[in-house]
Amino acid sequence: MSDSIKRCVVTGLGLVCALGDDAASCAASAFSGKSGIEDVKSFGTATCYSHKGAEVALTDEELCSEKYDRTTLLCIKAAGEALADSGLDLEKEDRRKIGVILGTCIGGAASIDKYYTDSFEGKETCKDDILRMPASAIANNVAGHFGLDGITANIVNACAAGTMSLAGACDMIRSGKADVFVAGGCDSFSSLAYAGFHALHALSEDACSPFNHSNGITIGEGSGVLIIESYEHAVARDAKIYCDVLGAGVSSDAYHITAPRPDGEGQMSAIRRAAYNSGVDLSEIDYINAHGTGTSKNDEAEFLSLKTLFGNRPELAVSSTKSMNGHCLGAAGSIEAVLTIEAMKRGEVPPTIGYSAEDIEALKEKSGGIGFVANEKQAKELNVCMSNSFAFGGNNASIVFSKEPRDVKGISNTAPIYITGVGKVTGTKDEGASDYRADVSPEVFKKHEVKSAFLRKLDRFSDLVLLSGIEALSDAGIKVDDTNADDIGIVIGTSDGPITEIVNFQKLVIEKGIENGSAFMFPNTVYNAAGGYLSIFTGIRGYNITIANGFQAGLQSVMYACDAIRRGDENIMLATGADELTDIEHDLYENAGYLGDGVVLGEGAVTLILESAESAAKRGSKKYAQIAGYATARHSVPYGIAGGTGEALVRAIEEAIADAGISAEDISVLYGFANGLKPLDDILGDAVSKIWKNGIEIRNVREDSGEARAASAALSLARAAEDMKDSGSEYMMAVSFGAGGIYSAAVLKKA
Amino acid sequence: MNEEIAAKIKKMLVERLRIPEDELEYDSELFGEDIGLDSIDSIEIIVGLEDLFGVDMSGSGKENFQSIRTLTQYVEEHKED
Repeated sequence: MSDSIKRCVVTGLGLVCALGDDAASCAASAFSGKSGIEDVKSFGTATCYSHKGAEVALTDEELCSEKYDRTTLLCIKAAGEALADSGLDLEKEDRRKIGVILGTCIGGAASIDKYYTDSFEGKETCKDDILRMPASAIANNVAGHFGLDGITANIVNACAAGTMSLAGACDMIRSGKADVFVAGGCDSFSSLAYAGFHALHALSEDACSPFNHSNGITIGEGSGVLIIESYEHAVARDAKIYCDVLGAGVSSDAYHITAPRPDGEGQMSAIRRAAYNSGVDLSEIDYINAHGTGTSKNDEAEFLSLKTLFGNRPELAVSSTKSMNGHCLGAAGSIEAVLTIEAMKRGEVPPTIGYSAEDIEALKEKSGGIGFVANEKQAKELNVCMSNSFAFGGNNASIVFSKEPRDVKGISNTAPIYITGVGKVTGTKDEGASDYRADVSPEVFKKHEVKSAFLRKLDRFSDLVLLSGIEALSDAGIKVDDTNADDIGIVIGTSDGPITEIVNFQKLVIEKGIENGSAFMFPNTVYNAAGGYLSIFTGIRGYNITIANGFQAGLQSVMYACDAIRRGDENIMLATGADELTDIEHDLYENAGYLGDGVVLGEGAVTLILESAESAAKRGSKKYAQIAGYATARHSVPYGIAGGTGEALVRAIEEAIADAGISAEDISVLYGFANGLKPLDDILGDAVSKIWKNGIEIRNVREDSGEARAASAALSLARAAEDMKDSGSEYMMAVSFGAGGIYSAAVLKKA
Repeated sequence: MNEEIAAKIKKMLVERLRIPEDELEYDSELFGEDIGLDSIDSIEIIVGLEDLFGVDMSGSGKENFQSIRTLTQYVEEHKED
C-alpha cells in the first residue's frame, strides 16, 4: 500500500437517546435546554438513594423487530437513521468497503442480567442470551443487519469508547482498509451500571449537575452513529458533507482505575494530541463538548485541564450535554459528536442546564474566564469543535471536527515495524482436567515485584494481561520512565473480556438487590480495566485501546498497534491478545453448545512488543521478525454460528500477502486456527487448498494450550516470530477467525 | 479487643477486598503501605460492617479505619445488641 493522507468526512447522522428518537428531535430538545432525565423505569430503584435515569422511550420491539440485546437494538435504530441520512445506496456500493466500528461500555449487560435472573429463579435459561452477552457481538450484529461486509470492531474503553471508535474509523479509512464506516457507540440502561455507580456513591440524587453542583452522574442510554467516509468517496457519490473529522488524541492517566488524575495531565495530553494530529492550534477551537459527567472528581480535574489549556478565552464555548441526556457511557462520545456536529450546522452551542442565578455567579468564579454556556443555547459561528471523553481505566480521548479541511496527520503504511519482545502466559492441562488454565498465583507476580496491595484489585482477566505485558517489556528490555512513557501505547484484543467479574457482579446484584452492588468489583467489569491496570503498573501514558471482536481480536490488536506507530503517535506498542477461563466461562461455552466437537478451552494472554525501525535502531533492540503485511476481512454470518464463509478468509489471506508485496509461495509456514469445530476446520482447509495449491506447512498453537481465543490468535503470531528468529524461513503467516464471519491474517518477514 | 468481632472483620476484608489472609494482621495499617486500601475499599468496608453488625460507619473519622483493631473498637462501641 502506498502512503496516503485522506480526508475523512461526516455524511450521515443518527441518534437515539432520552432526548428523542432521532437526531432532529434530540437536537430540538438539546438546543432548547430540555432535559430527558426522569425517574428510572427499566427496573425498581425503591431501595436506592437515587432514582434518576435518562432512558430511551422506545421498547426493544419498537427499536427493531429482530431479536438482539438492547444495546445492539439501540445502535440499529441510530445506524438506520444515519445510513438513510447519508444517502448511501447500498445496492450500488462495494459492501466489503463499508465497515462498522462501535464503542460500548457494558455490551450485552441486559442479556447477562436476564440469563442469570432466569437461572436464579429456577427458570430455563435461553441459549440465545449467551450469544447476546459479549460486546464482541454488537458490530457484527449491526453489520449483519444492514448487510455490510467491511471490517468490524467493538471499542470497549468504557466511557471513552464512543469517541475512540470515531477515531478508529478515521484511522482505518486513512490506512485504506475501508471507504466508509458506520461509526459510533451504544449502551443500554442496565442494572449492572446502575448498581455499580450506586455502590461507588457516584449517582446524583437529582438530575446530574455538571460543572455546577457536581454531586454525581445520571446514567443514560442510547446510541449515536456517524457515517464517516473518505472525502474522495463522498464526492464521487455527490454526498452532502456535514464536516471533516480531523484528528484524535488518546492517552492513559497511569494513575487510578476509576479516578482521573487530579492534575488533569492525562486529559490535557489527549487534548494536545488531538489538536496536533488535527493540524489546529488550541486557540482555534470554538466549542468544546466537555466530558462533564457531574462527579466532583471529574469536574474538578476537567475544570483544571480546560483552564490550564484554554484559560481566559471567553470566546471559547464549553458545555456538557450530559446535563440533559445523562451519561450514556460507551455511547456518550458518539452522542456528543452528533450534538457537536448539529451545533456546527446550526451555529448554536447547546447549554449545560440546571443553573440557578446563584449557580451562574459561582460558575463565573470556577470557569477561569472560559465561556461556559449555561441554561440557554448561545448563537455562535462554529468552525472547529472538540469533543472530550474520559473513562475508567484512566483512558482519555479527544476528537476534533471542522467545517474546513486541515493538514491532518496521515498514516504511513510502509514504515517498517518490528517485533522486539514477546510475553506469553498460557495454560496447562492437568491430568483429568477438561481444559487449560494458566498460573496467575501471587507467587508468579512476586517475581516481577507486583505488590499484593496492587494485585488484589485485579480480576483474572487483568492478571493475565498484566503478566504478559510485564514479561513482554522485560523481554524487550524496555524500562518505562518519564522519558518514554508518552511514546508507548497499549492495544488489547479480546473475545470475552472480564466476563467472570461481570457475571459475579451481576449475580450479586440479582441475589442481594440493586442497592448491594460491589464497589470493589465494579471497576473490573469494564473491558478496558486490564489495559488500565497495565498502564498504572508500568507507567505507560500513551495510546490505550481495548477491542472486543471475537477470537481474532488477538491478531487485530497487532494491526491497531501498527497503525498507532505509523500514525506517529507512539514509537513502541504493546499488542495483546487475552481471554480468561473460569468455570463461569466454561459453562457458558458448554451451554452455548460449542464444546461438543472436541474443542478444549484454554486461557492466556500474549503480548507482542511492536517497535518502529527508528526506535529499534536507537535502542539496539533484538528483532524477532518484521511485520510485513496484514489484513482483516469479513462476510456477515449471524454471531454465534461456528463458521462463516471461506471467501472472507481467502480475502484476508490474499490481502495480507498483497500488503506484504509477496506471493503466497514465499510463505513457508502458516499458523492456523483449527480447534476441533468441524465447520471452522473445513473453512481453513478449503482456503489453504485454494491459495497454496502445492500445500503449506500448518502449525497450530491450540495443540498444547487449548482454544484460548484471542490469546491463541496472538500466540500464533508470537510463535511464528520466535520460530523465524531461529530459522531460515523468510516469511510466515498467522491467521485467525472471529464470530460473525471476520478473519485476520498477518505476514511476518525475517528481520 | 473482641476477638470474635475482629475475626469476622478480617474474614470480611479477605473476602470483599481480596487481601491475602496471611498478610493481614489485626494491626496492619489498612490504608498505608502494608495493605494499600483506597477510597473504593473504604466504601466496601462500610457496607461490609453494616451487613455484619448493623453498624453505620459512613462519615466517621479516618482514625477508625486504621486497622482491624480500630474497626473492631468502633464496632464494639456502636453495636446495638
